Amino acid sequence: MTATQTSPSAPPTSGSGENGGPLSRLSAQNTGLLLAWLLAAVMLVLYLVLFAARKSALPGNFELTSTVNNAVPLVFAALGQTFPVLTSGLDLSVGGVMDVSNSLAATQMGTGVGSILLWTVLILLFGAATGLVNGLLVAYGRLQPILVTLGTLAILQGIALKVLPQPGGTTPPLVTRTLSNPDAPYGLILVALACALWFVARRTTFGMRIYAVGNDRIAARARGIPVRRTLVLAYVTSGTFAAAAGLMLAATTTGGDAASGDVFTLISIAAVVIGGVSLFGGRGSGIGAILGAFVLTLLINVLFFASIDPLFQPFYEGVFLVLAAALTALAGYWLRRRRIERSQR
Amino acid sequence: MTGGVTGAERRPAWLPRIRPDRQLGWYALAAAIVVFVVGELIQPGFASAAGVKTVLVVASFVGLVAAGQTLVVLIGGIDLSVPWMMNSMAVLLATASIGSNARAAWVVPLVLITGALLGAVNGLGVAVLSVPAVVMTLGMNGVLQGLTLGLTGGFTCATCGSAAPPALDAAVNGSVFGLPGQLIILFLVAVLLTVLLSWTSFGRRIYATGTNPRASVLAGVNVTRLTIGLYSLSGLFAALAGILLTAYGGKATLGMGDPYLFQSIAAVVIGGVSILGGRGHYLGALAGSITLTALVSVLLAKDMPDYGRDVVYGVVVLVIALLYGRGEREAA
Amino acid sequence: MTATSSEPRTTETRRPAIEAELVDKRYGPIQALRQASFSALPGEVHALVGENGAGKSTLIKLLCGVTQPDGGTVRVAGEAVSLSGASEAAARGVVTAFQELTLLPFLTVAENLLLDHEPRGALGLIRRRELADRARAVLAEHGVDSIDPAVLVETLPLAQQQIVEIVRAVSQRPNVLLLDEPTSSLAEREVEWLFDLVRTMCRAGTCVIFTSHRWREVSAIADRITVFRGGTHVATAAALDEDEAILLMTGRAPSHSVGERSEPGQRTLLGVDGLHGGRLHDVSFEVQEGEIVGVGGLEGQGQRDLFLALFGVRPAAGRISVDGTAVRLHSPKDAIRAGIALVPEDRKGEGLFLRMSIRENLTLPILGRIAGRGLLRSAPERAAVRGMVAQLGIGTGDQEQAVGTLSGGNQQKVLLGRWLLTGARVVLLYDVTRGVDLGTKRDIFARVSELAERGAAVLFYSSETEEVARMSHRVLVMREGRIATELTGDEISAERIVRAALRDPVTAVGPVSSAGPVPAVDPSGERRGDR
Repeated sequence: MTATQTSPSAPPTSGSGENGGPLSRLSAQNTGLLLAWLLAAVMLVLYLVLFAARKSALPGNFELTSTVNNAVPLVFAALGQTFPVLTSGLDLSVGGVMDVSNSLAATQMGTGVGSILLWTVLILLFGAATGLVNGLLVAYGRLQPILVTLGTLAILQGIALKVLPQPGGTTPPLVTRTLSNPDAPYGLILVALACALWFVARRTTFGMRIYAVGNDRIAARARGIPVRRTLVLAYVTSGTFAAAAGLMLAATTTGGDAASGDVFTLISIAAVVIGGVSLFGGRGSGIGAILGAFVLTLLINVLFFASIDPLFQPFYEGVFLVLAAALTALAGYWLRRRRIERSQR
Repeated sequence: MTGGVTGAERRPAWLPRIRPDRQLGWYALAAAIVVFVVGELIQPGFASAAGVKTVLVVASFVGLVAAGQTLVVLIGGIDLSVPWMMNSMAVLLATASIGSNARAAWVVPLVLITGALLGAVNGLGVAVLSVPAVVMTLGMNGVLQGLTLGLTGGFTCATCGSAAPPALDAAVNGSVFGLPGQLIILFLVAVLLTVLLSWTSFGRRIYATGTNPRASVLAGVNVTRLTIGLYSLSGLFAALAGILLTAYGGKATLGMGDPYLFQSIAAVVIGGVSILGGRGHYLGALAGSITLTALVSVLLAKDMPDYGRDVVYGVVVLVIALLYGRGEREAA
Repeated sequence: MTATSSEPRTTETRRPAIEAELVDKRYGPIQALRQASFSALPGEVHALVGENGAGKSTLIKLLCGVTQPDGGTVRVAGEAVSLSGASEAAARGVVTAFQELTLLPFLTVAENLLLDHEPRGALGLIRRRELADRARAVLAEHGVDSIDPAVLVETLPLAQQQIVEIVRAVSQRPNVLLLDEPTSSLAEREVEWLFDLVRTMCRAGTCVIFTSHRWREVSAIADRITVFRGGTHVATAAALDEDEAILLMTGRAPSHSVGERSEPGQRTLLGVDGLHGGRLHDVSFEVQEGEIVGVGGLEGQGQRDLFLALFGVRPAAGRISVDGTAVRLHSPKDAIRAGIALVPEDRKGEGLFLRMSIRENLTLPILGRIAGRGLLRSAPERAAVRGMVAQLGIGTGDQEQAVGTLSGGNQQKVLLGRWLLTGARVVLLYDVTRGVDLGTKRDIFARVSELAERGAAVLFYSSETEEVARMSHRVLVMREGRIATELTGDEISAERIVRAALRDPVTAVGPVSSAGPVPAVDPSGERRGDR
């Protein structure tokens, strides 16, 4: 039984949305991402200029390596954060997961490969479990994400302090060498891995459903999408990535500190916003979040070479976050109005 | 299709109108009483006059911060800048008044006004720049943290450790009619907020905005001004809490504001204020502050380790939010 | 209680394609469906009509599995089912196109059409590049070749979004197609397209069930019509005329609108001179006391901007005066103070505070007046409200009742009452009958006339040209942000309004505004040479 028919009496009126070519269509769906690339480029140039001004030379292997190594934890944290944000939620517990993850790595991991692998799996599972709790409470408990993740953040900070009351412990050298190798920018492999993970995720059913849920939860449900399951998975993803980020952090700092992850709540959201992912859900790309992570890492380098006291870092991070959010909101609003107006001519 | 009186409250016309959802605030009060009773059983003397007074005094700081948090949550927002708002204002107080009463006379108003202005900046970001409240206040928190740490060299400045001015000390720790000054202040704030929320047109507009911002605009409410005003008040209350906390503890310390974020939100949740806005009352949040503080005190008395506090805050928020249901859940 | 049902073309009794038997559904305190029964046959077009709140939408949701009944049975092809969601319903051949579109705004047309049916590659990953091509094929298959599948849905005009929604549903080749208000945003030609599509599907055996408030369409296409009232089935017939239908839908004889109408007075209550900004270009007109001025024209010609400017929501440059006094309208508050009221189309989203009481809803704009130095005074407030509630007959008279529990008609009264309380002399009504059932529509018209009779100046816009023609003393037809034509008295007719809206060939193509009766003018007439 088919629904096709011979051509109807008159086709519906013409005058579709975009009259622009492929470029303007591309920009429509990916405005945020393009802005992120732009911002990353600007930040890179700024860094290069300041570095050259100070050192009369261009950054070399050492700088590249340390920048990449510093960026990697945030890359993973931000990529994880992308998933709940795309569903128009937020995961404030990222910092807490990283705290626990970092503390566990520094205290529990032995130097042997077996112990390292075991604890890596356990730590990732812990992150996933946190995400599961978050997701269940958001999806089935129907609580607001801000409230839920704030609650789990508190609990996690407490747990981290239990595991590691004072900064200390050591990350096994094998872990440091693998995840945060100081000799060469092998960290780029990890970054590539993150990009690949996003690429795959975007093309799975799960990926499409995340966007659908973030666009319009009710419409998604009416289309038969398992909204609750998707939400749970979004937070599980975020928790797992955060746990991985905590491991990267442990590798980079070579030691443990139960509060070292705290700042990542703020900067993972900053990275995501800078990366053009909309806080209202449904639009944006994980690649943007990764770019945002680099923007923020470069920012720290820029501040350093501009001789700004590192104590002021949170100030700049905060300003950046707010500016990025304000500018993206305004730019998005303006662009959409223009497009809608044009389509109604 | 038909209306019918199902779900409507029928009350004598002269009683102040208590919505069904404000009953949650009464639960909070009941919970506080329960905790005191249980505390007394576990630890005799807990619910004595002195014991209750102690708990109330400790709770009063949360209660003050919760005042601002309540106002902001009622319009569907949140204030995550509480920790460093308190801390930065405390540092401002300490370094500007350097223990002198004469200076305190103008420093205290200065600090309060600064807090209000910083809060207004939060409000501007949320209302005018369309920055989501979480992001704006989180960013502000970072900004204040950076400024405070940077300008004081990580709290190593000369005047950072100044003692609080004696007059302030007396006001907070001294007694008025047998009650600590701190509690009198809290009482005044409670009265102020109750009047504001229940009996002024400003309060009515707050509830309208929290319920439906778009309709409020079309009904002539200046939502922008209201938002800025409420965030400003939140900053003011955080600054006030910072001042009083400094006086209570004798001086400003690093990280003194940190516990108050979770506590103020937990208090607000326990008190039945809906995180979505439009429902709840300060008195509920106040009861929530007391319940939370009493609960933590009982647990600490029973040898709960310090890190357990954070865990308790988190668990309480989650459990209460689940229990209360209606207020915290999205429409089905 | 079924009225005579027409016999299908064959004489054998056919098994219903889908049916609901004695279903109940309750939402909190509201009983949406009460022992309701409904059945539709394969290959027929079955219209479901009733007032808002009569249960039509709830029934549709039950039939397509988005929600489950509390009691009673739903049967698909004779088999009792318990549908747990849209995907299960789709698996059984029941697909719905919703009035509140299920399109995802920030995804492309292609992504929307092919959601969960995307072309896959080797590893089971979606091939994003093929999406657009596949979607174009689907659209073409259903006679749509003018929508670019690579654009974001949110950039499409509402009519095209509705077309995409319909294609999305139809492309799943359902046995039962449920259409919830499918034509609410469609223009004449698009409605024809839809009806052709529907007829083709029915010839092939699909059962099409649709809801609509547009009586002409219902009469034109439906094989059978079912009326619901108060959450239950009232009648099913092969044909009904409008008055009969209203009687069945509301239980009372329809009020006949605008019979005797008083003449406008002499005083100019609203004066607009050189209004300019956004889409508006030099708009000038006046409205006298007691006059109803209708605003006509194709959609998107500046009507919305005009209303928003007059209420201070989107201020424009120019001179506005109320009752002779010049006013500056920079915010709704200014407008309210000047005695202007705006009743918007979306009463739940933009007008009412559902959780709050009738009293609080009514008095919000006038709090300043009834409060003493900021402090509310309950006695004056209650007195003012009591008067208004009695005057309009709102609900049961209990002013503390939550507005969310009121019927749609009562809610509309609350909204009207709010503005009456402000003592507004100038009332702006923007598409207030959109999505409103026939019975309530007639009520609203009656009230609008009342407003004018009491001396208010009314500016009235509706997306249904026939209503504008029926209600107004004068009609201003807008085109490209200007007032192109003014029609008065006997000149006013839906046909003339449409013609005036289209006259200028520069305007090129545009959908005819959702006109009531088929306009005598062919919408593309202006291209065959002006008449």
